[in-house]
Amino acid sequence: MSVDFVSRSLAGVGDRLPVVVRTVDQQAIDAYARASGDFNPIHVDPGFARQGPFGRTIAHGLMTLAFVAEMLNDWSGGAFDETGEIDIAFTGPVFAGDTVEVTGAVEETVRRDGVECARIKLVVRAGDRQILAGHAIQPIKEPED
Amino acid sequence: MGEYRRYDEVSVGDVFPAEPLRFAVTAEAVDGFLAATENAGGAYRGTPRRAPSMIAAVYLVDLLMARRSPPGGIHAKQAIRFHRAIAVGEDLKIQAKVVEKYIRKERPYVVSDFEARGADGSLVSSGRVTSIWGRDQ
Repeated sequence: MSVDFVSRSLAGVGDRLPVVVRTVDQQAIDAYARASGDFNPIHVDPGFARQGPFGRTIAHGLMTLAFVAEMLNDWSGGAFDETGEIDIAFTGPVFAGDTVEVTGAVEETVRRDGVECARIKLVVRAGDRQILAGHAIQPIKEPED
Repeated sequence: MGEYRRYDEVSVGDVFPAEPLRFAVTAEAVDGFLAATENAGGAYRGTPRRAPSMIAAVYLVDLLMARRSPPGGIHAKQAIRFHRAIAVGEDLKIQAKVVEKYIRKERPYVVSDFEARGADGSLVSSGRVTSIWGRDQ
């Protein structure tokens, strides 16, 4: 099940990654709750969520992260599933009705465990709002023997 | 012991659950996850069938529920590293440990490190979850 490293698709620092776009409505949030087993009322109970910090239901953060993983797999030919890494903070909520746009750019190359990796700045927005901040790390060359 | 755990009952060093949680990477779980995230999933239809790494989003929920945090908690930060591909049909074992807790802007945070391992003990994923604890009941 191993996949090629992504060096062939990486031109260098500044490379733009693909864009994944999803519109998230309450039905989608409810479907995600059923798939993940996360029925936290802040996601699925409008009455409960009204009393919370956001005043209405919000999508699961890990749902947004699934869109990020899909984008990174699109870019890396599936290598992200095997060797990728994400480190993010959720900076803003995704509300029902939001259209979320996920992309990234190669910020620099770094070494992790002796392997050259792309450090990718993630860009995740719903309109003008930033949804998360952070980066991904993806090996771009096979380890040297 | 109440249904939910109070924030002051959480301690650095707590391991949850006491025995590693078992998560079966079933076709149903993978299909449900792909459908719910509108992922066409072409890469996950081959034979042998591979599972998306972010099925972690499902097993992490099972893991976090083992903490018995009250409803209303918020997922604040997430770090995760994948160490190998996973296949449909695998059984994973997952466990976490509280490594830090703090209050910031009157919000109670809990930081936990986790690992998911395959049946042979190989590391599948590892990472850190930072959560805002739900309001004590």
